[in-house]
Amino acid sequence: MATESSESEEEGKITGGNQHLVVEDDLREMGKKAAWTVSSCKTGNGVSSLRDDNLETYWQSDGAQPHLVNIQFQKKVKLQLVVLYVDFKLDESYTPSKISIRAGDGFHNLKEIKTVELVKPTGWVYLSLSGNDPRETFVNTFMLQIAVLSNHLNGRDTHVRQIKVYGPRPNPIPHQPFQFTSREFITYSTVR
Amino acid sequence: MEALLSNYVEKSLNQYMLRNAVFLCERLLAEFPSEVNLQLLARCYLAKNQPHSAYYILKGMEMAQSRYLFAIACLEMDLFSEAEAVLLPIEHLCSEVPNGAAVQYLLGIIYRDTARMKRSAEHFRKALSIDPLFWAAYEELCMLGEAEEAAVYFGDAAIPCVQEHYLGNTSSCLLIGGTNHSFGSSQRFVFEDLSLSHLQQKEQKKPRDISQNNHGGPILTGAVEQITNSCGNTSSLSTPSPVPTQIRGSLFFDSGLRRSARLATPMRSLNTSKGSENKERSFHASTKLNSETCSSTAHQGKLLETYEVAVSEFEATSSLSSTADVKSIQHEIVNTKLRNFIADAATIKSGISDTFKLLRILGEGYRHLCMFRCKEALIVYQKLSSKQYNTSWVLSQVGKAYFELVDYLNADYAFSLAHQISPYSVEEMDIYSTVLYHLKEEMKLKYLAQELILVDRFAPQTWCAIGNCYSLQKDHETALKSFQRAVQLDSRFAYAHTLSGHEYVIMEDYSLGAECYQKSLNVDPRQYKSWYGLGVIYLHKEKFEFAEHHFRQAYQINPFSSVIMFYLGTTLEALKRSGEALEMVEKAIVMDNKNPLPKYSKAKLLVTLGKLNEALEILEELKECTPRESSIYSLMGEIYKQHKKYDKAMLHFGLALDLKPSLVDVAKIKAAIGKLVIPDEIEDNL
Repeated sequence: MATESSESEEEGKITGGNQHLVVEDDLREMGKKAAWTVSSCKTGNGVSSLRDDNLETYWQSDGAQPHLVNIQFQKKVKLQLVVLYVDFKLDESYTPSKISIRAGDGFHNLKEIKTVELVKPTGWVYLSLSGNDPRETFVNTFMLQIAVLSNHLNGRDTHVRQIKVYGPRPNPIPHQPFQFTSREFITYSTVR
Repeated sequence: MEALLSNYVEKSLNQYMLRNAVFLCERLLAEFPSEVNLQLLARCYLAKNQPHSAYYILKGMEMAQSRYLFAIACLEMDLFSEAEAVLLPIEHLCSEVPNGAAVQYLLGIIYRDTARMKRSAEHFRKALSIDPLFWAAYEELCMLGEAEEAAVYFGDAAIPCVQEHYLGNTSSCLLIGGTNHSFGSSQRFVFEDLSLSHLQQKEQKKPRDISQNNHGGPILTGAVEQITNSCGNTSSLSTPSPVPTQIRGSLFFDSGLRRSARLATPMRSLNTSKGSENKERSFHASTKLNSETCSSTAHQGKLLETYEVAVSEFEATSSLSSTADVKSIQHEIVNTKLRNFIADAATIKSGISDTFKLLRILGEGYRHLCMFRCKEALIVYQKLSSKQYNTSWVLSQVGKAYFELVDYLNADYAFSLAHQISPYSVEEMDIYSTVLYHLKEEMKLKYLAQELILVDRFAPQTWCAIGNCYSLQKDHETALKSFQRAVQLDSRFAYAHTLSGHEYVIMEDYSLGAECYQKSLNVDPRQYKSWYGLGVIYLHKEKFEFAEHHFRQAYQINPFSSVIMFYLGTTLEALKRSGEALEMVEKAIVMDNKNPLPKYSKAKLLVTLGKLNEALEILEELKECTPRESSIYSLMGEIYKQHKKYDKAMLHFGLALDLKPSLVDVAKIKAAIGKLVIPDEIEDNL
């Protein structure tokens, strides 16, 4: 997992960004099972542009800051990574600068779990949700909120081209305490 | 003209010159509309893979043979109710209609596809009792799980039945005994050089006489009269005219119509073998007489030709209906090599008994495999001669047996041999692709998929292989599309549905996965893999009673699978029925000692029952067999933690982490280690 963020949980500055999205095999995209909403948008640049796997289309907000992207799941899920595609070269003053990620059960009890400052990002930006403690590798939550607090050059509205949310793969074999790693075990573990 | 055309159509059909056959048959039908010609045209359409045309022209026809062909067209178009409606009335004529076994088989197929399994099995059994060489019926019975031992059907008791078919019995066959064969063959021998082009030059006179003579009588006697008539009117022979074609037409037509009646009632003149011999001799005599008396005339050749026409028409008539027995006899007569062979009853008997011996072995093997008694199946197949064993069908069956035994290496070997021997065959290649998937042989699987595409792009097995290939590369969306493609190509290919279900479950789409499994079970209720799949879905959803039900169904169908037993054990453990779970897991260990999972389950169960030391013993054994399995060490670490042996726990957790478990497990183990540290600290502080 390539990331240029610093290890600290508080303010971290990220510059640059990858052109290619590379994620560990162990993680899988969880966004399909969630309901995505945004605080505001311009017609034609709505929330669907965030999830269409098309980097040409983007979400454009249309209101006061902070601009919010809300991701709500039907049950608690373990999340580890948030990836955004933002590009200063294309979006200039619309490029997000300060981003805060909050998690909780719903709108009423969201708590900030990470803030980050982007400095002229140019591609995929990886935001890990893990804490230092191994017990905090994942965030187990109903809802995630990505808040754009400010933009580059003090722009009002923001452009985000794509957002992906990753969590760990569950055990394909149900009701086992640990996942199997060896070939012998895996061969015998399913009927196909 | 009618006989000429219909003969020519037959010839074209035999030579697969289908455009010729269809065109000329359509002309034939236009010129001489009759149900027999309609049947011939239907056969042409069916050969050309146009069942809808055959369906259209035969709709409403009443003759047994028409109904049979109509049913075949309906089945090609999946019109089960119509096929059933049309076959049922002739069902009780089965013993008289020569393709009776086929009718029973078709009814069996219809009932199977409309989910009436019991009746389906009955019909397959009837098919076998009528015609013991009907392998397809036995195969279907095995797949329904209803087959008795192969020896019951392919046993010595059935030999006389087959003999009868070949030698013909008095009431159901026109030809009787070996004498007829020699009779027919000698005639053939005489007329070998004559070509059908002479057909036009037949005597035109006595058309009414002939047709009158022919009413209710067999064509042979008619021909005799024809010849005697013609003999008496040699002068009239000189002028060939178009009328002769009409004569032949009516002869032909009558014989066609009368065929079923003829079949049902004993022949007037050829009642018993003795009677036939006499008649034949007189027949011989009369023809010889005829030829002698007319030899002086220049028309002798024509007379012989006439006779030849009569015989060939007779052949044409009988070959119209696809009777396995009578037609085959006719053809065998034509084939001079077989002439002597068939004529000897003893040789027939030994031939039949050899065939039965072969079918017995194959049948037993197939039956065992369908009931998942794989080891027995393998033993039975070993009894085959190496000629028969080294064929793609047998080797594929062997491969399937190893596959069900979870012995994928041997399965790979058997299947690859099968594929080498018959690269054009796609049968069971879907199972082979699954074997390669299990073995994670990406290159081999890709290669197989590519080869299969080149062989047959429209076979569901090809798309199953392609899907497995993508699934192995973790591209589950494309894998799913491939499996759906296979389903589109053949919605009755149960395994494609099952594989689609598996893909949905991997992608965690449980509702669509369950749907696919259900579809698979609708087609084939004995797909234990689909029952298993449903069980897994319920396990994921934590609905343990449902899971148990489904796993038990799978277990009933395949009681020899240690994997199914393992899952059943897991479910029982979740239901807190540890005793039963332990039993089930023990059974699994006995069934397949190489399967490490039931042993792992057993260790887990022993932990919950508090028998920590025994659990550790088992895990130590497992460690020897599979030293790189992280979950063994994790579990041992947990056990030592419970035992308060913190240093050992620490060691094992460390080993577990070294073996690179999944992210979730890494977090779990690290958390567990964290908890270990604290008791140490407390101890230190004390």
